[in-house]
Amino acid sequence: MSMTRNFMQLRLRADRKRRLGLCIIAAVFLGGVLVSLMIGRSFISPITIGQYLLGADVGGDAFTLGVLRFPRVIVAGLAGMCFGMGGVTFQTLLRNPLASPDIIGISSGASAAAVFCIVMLGLSGAVVSVVAVAAGLGVALAIYLLAWKGGAAGARLILVGIGISAMLQSFTAYLLTQAPSWSLQQSLRWMTGSTNGAQLELALPLVLALALFGGALIVIRRDLEVLRMGDDLAAGLGVRIGHVQIVAICAAVGLVAFATAATGPIAFVAFLAGPIAARLIKGGGSLLLPAALTGAALVVLADFVGQVLLPARYPVGIVTGVLGAPYLVLLIIKDNRNGGAL
Amino acid sequence: MTNAAIEVSGLVTGYNDGTVLDQLDLTIMSGEVTAIIGANACGKSTLLRSMSRLLKPRTGRVQIFGQDLHKMPPRKLAQKLGFLPQSPIAPEGITVLDLVSRGRHPHQGVFGRWTPDDQAAVDAALDMTGTHDLAERLVEDLSGGQRQRVWIAMALAQGTEILLLDEPTTYLDINHQIDVLDLLTDLNQERGTTIVMVLHDLNLAARYADRLVAIGNGQVHSVGAPSDILTETMLTEVFGLNARVMADPVGRSPMMVPVGRYKVTNDTGTVRKNAG
Repeated sequence: MSMTRNFMQLRLRADRKRRLGLCIIAAVFLGGVLVSLMIGRSFISPITIGQYLLGADVGGDAFTLGVLRFPRVIVAGLAGMCFGMGGVTFQTLLRNPLASPDIIGISSGASAAAVFCIVMLGLSGAVVSVVAVAAGLGVALAIYLLAWKGGAAGARLILVGIGISAMLQSFTAYLLTQAPSWSLQQSLRWMTGSTNGAQLELALPLVLALALFGGALIVIRRDLEVLRMGDDLAAGLGVRIGHVQIVAICAAVGLVAFATAATGPIAFVAFLAGPIAARLIKGGGSLLLPAALTGAALVVLADFVGQVLLPARYPVGIVTGVLGAPYLVLLIIKDNRNGGAL
Repeated sequence: MTNAAIEVSGLVTGYNDGTVLDQLDLTIMSGEVTAIIGANACGKSTLLRSMSRLLKPRTGRVQIFGQDLHKMPPRKLAQKLGFLPQSPIAPEGITVLDLVSRGRHPHQGVFGRWTPDDQAAVDAALDMTGTHDLAERLVEDLSGGQRQRVWIAMALAQGTEILLLDEPTTYLDINHQIDVLDLLTDLNQERGTTIVMVLHDLNLAARYADRLVAIGNGQVHSVGAPSDILTETMLTEVFGLNARVMADPVGRSPMMVPVGRYKVTNDTGTVRKNAG
């Protein structure tokens, strides 16, 4: 009996630790949102922001907040959530932090398709998102088939993905040269991701994507956790492996593609969010929510840094790229030390 | 009286184009410890995977307690039959308690409410495997022997009537091999769990199993009590091995000693030099 109580306490303590970790990530995210709203070319006090939210007349600040800062921070946060959740799903499913959608070409595929639609076909809005999702799924399928050799092994899949990603990025770059009227800023959005000129309309598809795809992932989160112990063991525990994998891949691709259609492929957010969340939330629980919040915090803070703290204004993808690259190098070195043979 | 836990009939299966098992029939008795033996790549693991639904039969069928394996919902099956693969993966940063708790997965609903039943099963599993004191440790920090106990604890927490294990003693020191086999025997005797395992070590298989199944040429070569199965003839036919079989000095089971080509000083010549 005392043993049992002991374990209940352990479990409660683990739950408390997890909640604390989640609160910390959420606090960092909300802090990022607040400073992004306050600081820019002009300073707006939190009181004014509160008044604006309550509908009071705040003069010229209403334009700064309503048109410039709120849409930007909302789109940044939502896109970050999509990237974080989509990324950690791939990493969990393939049991490899390198198997993130922005490394294996899913984001590049969605981005290339979006640019193709906009530059070549003159499309905009929801159609672009749908085509981006389709392209993301197409890339996922292509990688899977190309890496298939009596079973899709992780390392081969990642290498094939990196190759495809490079091809798709050069395709996007080519498409951008065909659009001479575009500014450098716009081009950068489709190469590394940017929230410049974000409008509130962009938020709606992201909310829908999070509700639909994020919701689907939340429903299967326990099965995903069990899958981390290997397909055979998970099957032995009653997980319908095939079903879970298909739902998870479609949902993760959906999240990443919708976010990419809105902000471009913000570099390394999908790649970084999961591992950072895992460091902050120790223990066995699902990483979906922590990674979503971490992704949101990353994009919002990186955007703030790119806009305000650096000497020139940089799109968010450049800042996250600078953050992500060293971690990528570190991971590859670590993998090789462990004798990660291909 | 024992009755059938698993019935395999006319099983044909394999990977890609190759056929590994061809028209295999086998009955696993409820409440017994069965060890599957055979040469490398003879289809031992394939048979185990077929019995745990990981591999679909091309023809033939597998029934557990009279129900067709492939017609049962996976979750229902996982409440009756557990499977421990050869090299399961412990996710990074997972504690022993968390890992063992995952054995309750098939018993939990969509919302995954943790019930007193779940807690009791996990407690009992930790108790029986002597891993109570490790509960808070990270699985990655454990030794090989401890880790295997934890995986078995997870399978115990699953609370199934049948437990299949693919080489549960591989990579373990001999003392930990005995440890694991004793533990599985405890489980069999205390809970009446039907145990089916693939084992490499023939002497340990003969010692711990109630029934041996020798697999050769994609079929069951022979099945029965170890004293009937572990014979010099079987070793020649299934393994192509020249060996002596004698009584195990500490048990009632047979024991085999391979002859080989070197340092043989007491070859009585009753066995042919070149088998087959």
